[in-house]
Amino acid sequence: MQADKDGMRELFEKLVLADKLDKLMYRRMMQGRLLGFYHPGDGGIAPGVAIGHSLHKQDIYAPHHRAHAIPGMIGKNVPLERYLAEHSGKQDGCCRGRSSFHWSFPEFGIYMASGYIGYQFAPTVGWGWAARRKGEGQIVWCSAGDGAYNQGRAHEAMLMAMNWKLPVVFCCENNGMAIHATAESTHPMEHVSSLAGGYGMPAVIVDGQDVFAVAETARNAIRHVRDGNGPIFVEAKTLRFKEHDIGTPDLAGHTPRGKEELDALRERDPIRLATEAVLAAGVLDEAGIDAVHERAEKELARLERFADDSPVARPGEAELLEAVYAS
Amino acid sequence: MQAEPGKTGVRELTFIDAIKEAYVEEMERDENVFLVGQDIRGGIFPSTMGLFDRFGPERVVDTPISESGMYGTAFGAAQEGFRPIVDFMFGGFAYVTWAECSVTTGQYYFLHGGQVPLPLVMTFAVGTGQQLANDHAMGLHGAFFHQPGIKVAMPSTPHDAKGMMKAAIRDNNPVVMPWHMGLMMDRGPVPGTDYTVPFGMADVRREGRDVTVLANSLQLKHALAVADRLAGEISVEVIDPRSFEPFDMDTLLRSLETTSRLVVVDEDWERGGFAATVSARVMEQGFDLLDAPVGRVTFPNMPVPGGHMEAYIAPGPDKIESAVRSVCA
Repeated sequence: MQADKDGMRELFEKLVLADKLDKLMYRRMMQGRLLGFYHPGDGGIAPGVAIGHSLHKQDIYAPHHRAHAIPGMIGKNVPLERYLAEHSGKQDGCCRGRSSFHWSFPEFGIYMASGYIGYQFAPTVGWGWAARRKGEGQIVWCSAGDGAYNQGRAHEAMLMAMNWKLPVVFCCENNGMAIHATAESTHPMEHVSSLAGGYGMPAVIVDGQDVFAVAETARNAIRHVRDGNGPIFVEAKTLRFKEHDIGTPDLAGHTPRGKEELDALRERDPIRLATEAVLAAGVLDEAGIDAVHERAEKELARLERFADDSPVARPGEAELLEAVYAS
Repeated sequence: MQAEPGKTGVRELTFIDAIKEAYVEEMERDENVFLVGQDIRGGIFPSTMGLFDRFGPERVVDTPISESGMYGTAFGAAQEGFRPIVDFMFGGFAYVTWAECSVTTGQYYFLHGGQVPLPLVMTFAVGTGQQLANDHAMGLHGAFFHQPGIKVAMPSTPHDAKGMMKAAIRDNNPVVMPWHMGLMMDRGPVPGTDYTVPFGMADVRREGRDVTVLANSLQLKHALAVADRLAGEISVEVIDPRSFEPFDMDTLLRSLETTSRLVVVDEDWERGGFAATVSARVMEQGFDLLDAPVGRVTFPNMPVPGGHMEAYIAPGPDKIESAVRSVCA
């Protein structure tokens, strides 16, 4: 049981850090200290944290794009100072300041970002194919939103992964919103995971607000896949408290989401739920929770110091041209 | 033919068998090299025929008609250290997964900080002559040429087909290597030895004094025929660019120092293609060498028709001869 308690404490720490970093990103964007755009994760960060936490370092992971993959990366123990530096246009960024928002930590099995929603489905087939061929027990976790599962590529990937029995978990972090479009207006069935049945793929649904429940479901799904049973589908029902990206109106369809509606959603804030859970389980007391928050604040300060101290990336055009091709 | 690595000496091979010999030699040499495509087990084209039996399903990967998933197999595996060759069958089919195979592919390495190279080859059949119309006839080299981060080369002879395919497979970058259906069964000398033809080295296929014709693949064959036809009247130098990106500008400029006139032949649309880029670069870098405006022989900017109509608009010997006469007038 001590192991369970340690696991809960670790997940809780990561969840708190992810939440604080997401909110820091929001502030930095409003302050003009973050480049490009930012898609806040507030309300929907629990699945990424739980999934990343459940994977091995060697596993390939395409995190959901919301909160710019921060929850998934924190879950997978990726130190994020180089990501914050990247998003701030600094030379120590993970992509050398060339991308604004792309996350790329190949040594953690996290290869890439893209502005194409659903970009991860096509490479997922290749990652899964490579994992199976190498036979080293590596698996692939492909997370995407309800909007991305509108993409034809999702269906090609599920078809091929099932045909080839690849070690892939397909996951939908379903927050019910794709920009402004509600999931019910773009999906013919209530559950996105119902799609899996068309490919003979088993599917499970989990409460995406409960970081501990997602972690348990993720562990089971990963075991299923790692044991050579082929793909499985996990749908985490989650929420989005904020607008799609900073600066766009917060609509459902064409109607603004009202305060009452959002207040009701916040009843299921993953931080609130996790805090109640760790208290109830006796994992932490109030003082312990305060300490978790203090450690997270210190970590944020460390990330910011690194990003702010790193010089603005200023390569010349010739240097950039040299960087187009690998040698 | 059953290719036999290690066999030395120069044999006559067809163009398509030269490509197959490159596949076989590279797959024997490096177990990370594999083929992926639709119906490549049986082989729509002879380039992959028999390879499934020889290398098995893990090396000759047959996919459903799911172009994004098929291309994704190559893309993801390349990130994981494999060296895939993805065969689109007909070039026009690459457009079905265009976002992946052009934008995401060409810009991945640079945009992600140069951390992970993408060593993959895209190959497919292109070209007029089969009366098949747009999606089965278009050249794709111009479209890929427009995309940064992707090398684009097209062989013109069986010798180059083998050597350039081997160079493509060994390159640590995405390489697009179309081949022209009009050359598929052409025979030519191919060394049985291991050799590569590096990119960025144009080949002066025929020396001349009066005009330079830059032409590639089937159009190179046409240009050489026109040079024969005009011998004694106009002395035509014929250059094969071999690769469009990287492009060997030095060889072209050196040629223009002698000829001072240029015709670019390109089996692609006039608008925004390789021929347009070359003529602009010649204007920028070799304006003083020219005694006449650059001539271009390309597709008119219209859909590529099938049936008999294809021949009415496609570049070919008559259009090349007319352009040569025009710049020499």
